[in-house]
Amino acid sequence: MNLPPIDWHAIAPELVLTAAACLVLVVDLFLPDEAKWIAMPLSAAGLFGTLAAVVSLLGAERVTLAGSFEVNDFALLFKALFCVIGLIILALSLDYFRDGRYHQGEFYFLLLCALLGGVVMASARDLISIFIAIETISIPGIVMAALRKGDVRSNEGSLKFFLFSVLSSALMLYGMSLIYGVTGSTNVDEINQVLPQQHEGLVAVSVFFVVIGFAFKVSAVPFHFWAPDTYEGSPPPVAAFLASASKIGGFVGLLVLMFRAFPAVAEQWRPAFAVLAALTMTVGNLIALRQQHIIRLLAYSGVAQSGYMLVGFALIGANADTNSQAFKATVIYIVIYGLMDLGAFAAAISFARRGGTYFISDYSGLWNRSPALAGLMAAFLLSLAGVPPLAGAWAKLFVFLASIEAQVYWLAVVMGVNAVIAAWYYLAVVKRMFFDVPEVSEPIETPYLLRAAMGLAVLALVASFVYPRLVTDLADRSVLESRGADVELSSP
Amino acid sequence: MEAAWQEGLFFVFATVITVSAIGVVTARNVIHAALFLVATLIGAACIYILMFAEFVAWAQVLVYVGAIVVLMLFGLMLTRAPIGKYGEYDNDQKGLAAIVAAAVFGVTAWVLIDSFEGVELPTDRVAATTSKDVGEAIFSSYVLPFELVSVLLLAALVGAVVIARRDERVTSRTIDAARREKAREEDV
Amino acid sequence: MIDWIKQLPGNVIDFIGPEIIIATAKVVLVFGVLLVTTLLVIWFERRVIADMQARVGPNRWGPFGLFQTLADGIKLFFKEDFRPAAADRWTFVIAPVMAMVPAFLAFAVVPLGDHVVIAGHRVDLVMSDLNIGILYFLAVGSLGVYGVVLAGWASGSKYPLIGSIRSTAQMISYEIALGLSLVPIALVAGSLSTVDIVAAQAGTYDNIVLFGRDLNFLEGIIPHWFIVQQWPAFLIFLVAGIAETNRAPFDLPEAETELVAGYHTEYSGIRFAMFFLGEYVHVVAISAMAATLFFGGWHGWNPAFPAAIDWLRWIVPIFWFTIKTVAFVYLFVWLRATLPRLRYDRLMWVGWKRLIPGALVWIVVTAVLNSDPEEVPTSARLWVMAVVFAILLAWVWRGDPRLTALEPWRKKEVTRGTA
Repeated sequence: MNLPPIDWHAIAPELVLTAAACLVLVVDLFLPDEAKWIAMPLSAAGLFGTLAAVVSLLGAERVTLAGSFEVNDFALLFKALFCVIGLIILALSLDYFRDGRYHQGEFYFLLLCALLGGVVMASARDLISIFIAIETISIPGIVMAALRKGDVRSNEGSLKFFLFSVLSSALMLYGMSLIYGVTGSTNVDEINQVLPQQHEGLVAVSVFFVVIGFAFKVSAVPFHFWAPDTYEGSPPPVAAFLASASKIGGFVGLLVLMFRAFPAVAEQWRPAFAVLAALTMTVGNLIALRQQHIIRLLAYSGVAQSGYMLVGFALIGANADTNSQAFKATVIYIVIYGLMDLGAFAAAISFARRGGTYFISDYSGLWNRSPALAGLMAAFLLSLAGVPPLAGAWAKLFVFLASIEAQVYWLAVVMGVNAVIAAWYYLAVVKRMFFDVPEVSEPIETPYLLRAAMGLAVLALVASFVYPRLVTDLADRSVLESRGADVELSSP
Repeated sequence: MEAAWQEGLFFVFATVITVSAIGVVTARNVIHAALFLVATLIGAACIYILMFAEFVAWAQVLVYVGAIVVLMLFGLMLTRAPIGKYGEYDNDQKGLAAIVAAAVFGVTAWVLIDSFEGVELPTDRVAATTSKDVGEAIFSSYVLPFELVSVLLLAALVGAVVIARRDERVTSRTIDAARREKAREEDV
Repeated sequence: MIDWIKQLPGNVIDFIGPEIIIATAKVVLVFGVLLVTTLLVIWFERRVIADMQARVGPNRWGPFGLFQTLADGIKLFFKEDFRPAAADRWTFVIAPVMAMVPAFLAFAVVPLGDHVVIAGHRVDLVMSDLNIGILYFLAVGSLGVYGVVLAGWASGSKYPLIGSIRSTAQMISYEIALGLSLVPIALVAGSLSTVDIVAAQAGTYDNIVLFGRDLNFLEGIIPHWFIVQQWPAFLIFLVAGIAETNRAPFDLPEAETELVAGYHTEYSGIRFAMFFLGEYVHVVAISAMAATLFFGGWHGWNPAFPAAIDWLRWIVPIFWFTIKTVAFVYLFVWLRATLPRLRYDRLMWVGWKRLIPGALVWIVVTAVLNSDPEEVPTSARLWVMAVVFAILLAWVWRGDPRLTALEPWRKKEVTRGTA
């Protein structure tokens, strides 16, 4: 048996992360209860190691494992993003899991496994790898969501997530098996070459199933029902994970599939994405208007944000120029969304940990109690709303411009209207923090670690507003182009 | 000649699968539903054998029939084995579910028939897949997803134990729970 | 028309083809032989146990009481077919069949001998040489649980239900160890097919070097059976196999003192006989598999035959195979006569904390020992071995739950946990 050589350097980030996860699991066994928190710095070290491996690959263009695994700037950007998100979530988790005495070691292990799924997803160029990667993100997520075992809402949220996840996986797999059936390949490039010659209806149905599967994962309307309940019920750091890493994992998968595997048949699925995007934005924002609970608010606003990210997919196919415009806008939006949403979660968690609750009414007069926390929270919310001088503004603007460029004006109008609706509820929270009178006047001390993490996030957001090339350069470099003609087609 | 045999057997197994799949969702008793599921899975394994995919067929029997459904039955027995009279498991969404199922069936059936009608698929492509072929595929181009699956299963295993285990510590005394109490009071 | 009918037998053969006829004949023959074997095995067990207990055993009906089981069978056949009122009708009927059929199916991949030539057709003495023979054996074996689960539930009464839960837990736990114990065999033989595995055990060990010494006098004596190299796998296989068949000392499902008769309490007559049949066929199947996978299958001393009866040569492999299988059946009986029943928690402990980790460790060791020396350097082997050894130490150190009370540091741990 002749095994093809494996490019070990190309999969170094995955190897480091796997080793770190196993190490955390084993070390946790031998730690006494009081010292279980050591698993967190250990996991952080693992993530820094992974980040180092990613940095060592910068600028590389490597393809290994029979074309199913690709390392390029796109992959590295998202690998790094997953590592950063992981580090921020670790910072959020330490206090929470140490004081709560939840299963700390297991939590960190599961978190690393889920991030591993994301890191693999960034490089996966093969239906099987993509499917396994998305499952590796969601299954540990399901378990982590159930970690507050004493609380019924955690159980309920986790169960809902589980059922939706299983259903979406089944649909996705069915679609993928149909695609394999008609194309005879699992490789995205080969699929893209063979797909246009196949029967239109069959292709449309199979792509439709795959898209529905991913729509569940990124909580697009009308497949979003699980998200608010699950976010609310799960431990807040896990909610932050689900809203950021898990969702971004889904989007990375969608990017690979839609821009690499199915662009040749874009005519057939583009309208579906337009509808999906418009619905997701509008419904998410309208429901968010009425939320009283900050996590639920962030959940619905997250749904709406998914809508903006889906816009890019509705613009594929007109010509190569608009394609790359849409792709870049989506990538930028995803990266910035990851930072600002995570930041908002971090602020909410640190407020709740130091005397507050998750109810928005409690945010009255936060400015008087902790100017730093109120400022940070406001920054994240304003960025989510798309208010300058924060990077969120660029994110929205790029997507907006891309849809104008592609001459899909109605979608641009929907986006504009939605931005206004969204601003309403984000600003309502900000107004409450700055202008309302607090019920309690106790000052709040934010945990040191969290403040550092949030400060860095805000800095990044402001910096990339002032100097947008920080992100646009990244996006420009991260091209997801088919390797085209040099791919040998296996006869179907 | 052989193709005719194959086709005939295919229809036999397909009928078994369809009937028992309908049985799974309509059975009044969970245990009966599980048994119908067994019949469905074995029928699928038989179809794999018709396609010369012995490895997949027996792996299906070993994993799904021999392990997963057995564990389902075991779980049922441990928790709420319905001895004697059976309860009602249906709910009022039955009609809606039937409509959705029929629609999905209709669309996929139409699409598949429409795209493959009259197409003669080459039969010489079908050769027996040995365990060696499967092994080589898994350990060459699909080695990464294969290894990732092992991480996934490990995570699922650890997670299942974490969720199923009874906590020794009293969780209601934790800070989180105390805060929850406070939140409830404010809610009222 | 009439001509056509006259030629019917020939036509039928032409129509069906010799392969299908040979296959059918094999199936019928093996099924019949197994039925008779079961009768004999039951008689054998009763006689052997009686002998060990200084009794005579069945001795009235037939020479040495050989027909005793037949008489019992006839009795069971004519007994009333009783079904409890609370029983679930169809499941109650299906359960004994589900217990019996998989045990028979396992024989499809057991090579009983080499091959014979009948009327120019080469007939291999194995029902089917699947390229995934071991997987098939495990898959079919895993179906046996259904008989137990369904019987316990369908009876609609508590003792069978408890008994069936117990034995299901036991069977699914030990199935894992059973499967893992066969992985090293597949690694060594390089195939999952039972025929290939038997072929890989042909011949003897030549050129035996131990600690730098050439042991010439052993040359050509030690057969190249997998038991020599794979004895740890064999031990695991044996223990798991006995547990799979639900026999002493693992016969908890039928612990009379606690559960009346376990999952088949409510069964009587011919349905009860089916459970009985299933159990004994299973014993024979595990014995045959042990002989096939670890003891060279049908390989054995092959004497020179006079030319006149050389065509009878095909009997020799069958003879060796039978001898080996009977030896294992004897071992099963012997264990039943000797060993007391395990406690339930101990049973689970052995399965999950000894057999499964042990099998996993052994898989790694086998893989390392059999790797290509050019691909895997000696230092890497040593490292793997060191890690395995460390795991083994840790594993043994974790110890026996019965001993925890004697270890002060563990006691502390326990009190802290509950405080």
